[in-house]
Amino acid sequence: MKHTKMTLSTETMNLDFVRKVESLSGSSVRRCFQCGKCTAGCPMRSFMEHPPNRIMRLLQLGQWERILAGRSIWYCASCETCSTRCPNKVDLAAIMDALRKLSWDANGPSKESYVQLANRLFIENIKTYGRQYEMRLGAVFNVKSGQFLKDLLLGPKLLSRGKLKMFHSKNKNITEIENIFNRIEEMRKTVL
Amino acid sequence: MNSTNSKLTYSYYPGCSLHASGKEYDISTRGLFKALKIGLKEVPDWLCCGATPAHNVDELLSLSLCAKNLSLADEVKGDLAVACAACFSRLKTTQHRLADNPEKRKQVEHAIAGSVPEKKVKHLLEILAKDYGLEQLQEAVQKPLSGLKVACYYGCLLTRPPEVPELDCTEAPTIMERVIGATGAETVAWSHRLECCGANFTLSRPGVVLKLSGDILASAKAAGADCLMVACPLCHGNLDIRQKEIEEATGTRYNMPVFYMTQLLALAAGVPAAKLGFDSMMVSPLPLLKEKNLL
Ligand code: SF4
Ligand code: SF4
Repeated sequence: MKHTKMTLSTETMNLDFVRKVESLSGSSVRRCFQCGKCTAGCPMRSFMEHPPNRIMRLLQLGQWERILAGRSIWYCASCETCSTRCPNKVDLAAIMDALRKLSWDANGPSKESYVQLANRLFIENIKTYGRQYEMRLGAVFNVKSGQFLKDLLLGPKLLSRGKLKMFHSKNKNITEIENIFNRIEEMRKTVL
Repeated sequence: MNSTNSKLTYSYYPGCSLHASGKEYDISTRGLFKALKIGLKEVPDWLCCGATPAHNVDELLSLSLCAKNLSLADEVKGDLAVACAACFSRLKTTQHRLADNPEKRKQVEHAIAGSVPEKKVKHLLEILAKDYGLEQLQEAVQKPLSGLKVACYYGCLLTRPPEVPELDCTEAPTIMERVIGATGAETVAWSHRLECCGANFTLSRPGVVLKLSGDILASAKAAGADCLMVACPLCHGNLDIRQKEIEEATGTRYNMPVFYMTQLLALAAGVPAAKLGFDSMMVSPLPLLKEKNLL
C-alpha cells in the first residue's frame, strides 16, 4: 500500500457529503472508534485499497473524494458481515450502499464500471421484462464490456443442462412495473 | 399421515433464478412440499426482487420492487415461502426498513400506488424446522441419508444482519444442520459456513468468485465433507457451475457435489431421484449417491 500524505484543513474536509451519506444510510459515521472488527471479517478486504475501517476514518475526516476515486466501494459484496459485527452498531453495509449511490449519481460509470454496468443491466432487465433473463444479461454484459470471449464456454454448458432460458416472456403486469420506475424517477426530480 | 400437515399452506415466491439456472431448487422444493403434504401456491406475476444490484444503486427502487411483490403475494393465502436466500433477505429487509421509517413507507407506497401489506415472509428452512417441525420431518423420512457427510453452507444473507432474517443465531446458526440432521445425514464442522461466495460478482468480476468460492470448497474438503448443501441459487451457481474453473485455477480437484437442501430432503422423503434435477448439476452427484446406496 502506497502511503500518500493527507492534508487536513477546513477546505479538504467536506462534511456536507458525509451528512448525505449519513442520511441515506441511516447510520452514524462518528460512532466508529476504529476497532477494525469490520475489516477483520470482510471477505473482500484484500481486493480493496481502503478496507472498511479506513473508509470510516476517511469519512470522519471528510476525505470522501479519496474513497470515490478508488475501487473499494465497488468491491464490497454486500455480505453484511461488517454491520453484523460492529460493536458500535455502525451499519457499514448501508454506508457502502450510500457511497455507491452517490458515486453513481455524481460520476456516472467510473473506472470500476464493470460492476456498475452489471448492476445497471440487471435493473434494465427488470424494467423491460419484470424478471431476470439470465442469458440476455450475460450476453449484453459481454458485448457492452468488450469481453466477447469471457464465459463463452460456460454458456453452452448451461444451455445443454437447461439452465439458461433461450426465450423470455414479459410479465403480465409489465406496465405496472414501468410505472413504478417512472414514479420513482418523478420523485427524484421533486421530493428526493 | 398426520392430518395437521394439510393445515400448512403457503404462498410461494420462487425468484428469477429458480426459473432458470436454479431450476433444480424449484423442482425439488415442489417435490418435497408435495411429499410432506404442505400446500404451496406460486404468487401470480411476481417480479424480480431487485437482488443486490437494486439496493446497490437505488434503495428506493429496491424497497419498491419488494413491496410490490408483497402486495401481489397478499392475494394468495398463507405466509410467503421464499426459497432463495437473496430474495428472502431483500423481502425481509424491506419490511424491516419500512417498519420504522414512515417517511420511506410513504415514498414506497407512492411508487407502487398501493399499501404494503403485513405479510409474514419465511424462508423454507424456517417452514421446515419450525412450522412443520423436526420430529415430523424425521417421521417423513423413507430413505435415511445415513453415511452422507454434508457441509451445510449458509453464506451471508440467510442470517445477516442480526435484526433482519430472524431465522437463527447470526454468527453460529444450526438450523441447516438440524434440518438435514433429521434425515440421518451426518454434518461436518467447518470454518467457511458463513463466508461470502462473491455472488454479486459472478458477471463482473469472476476472479473474485474464484477466490472466495475456492476457499469455501477447500474448507469443506478439509473437513471431510462428501458434498455441500446450500439454500441459495447464487451460492449454487458459484460453487457448482464454477467449480471446474476453480479447480483449474487452483490446481485442486474437489469433485464436490453441491446440493440444494430441498434435493437432499426430498430424496430422503422418498421423492424419486429422477424428479430432483440431479442431471442439471455441473458436478454430478450420481457417483456419490450410488456409493452411499441412496439411488
Ligand atoms: S467495526 Fe465498527 S467501530 Fe470497529 S472499525 Fe468497523 S465501523 Fe468502526
Ligand atoms: S458488506 Fe462489504 S464491506 Fe462489509 S464485510 Fe461485506 S464485503 Fe466487506
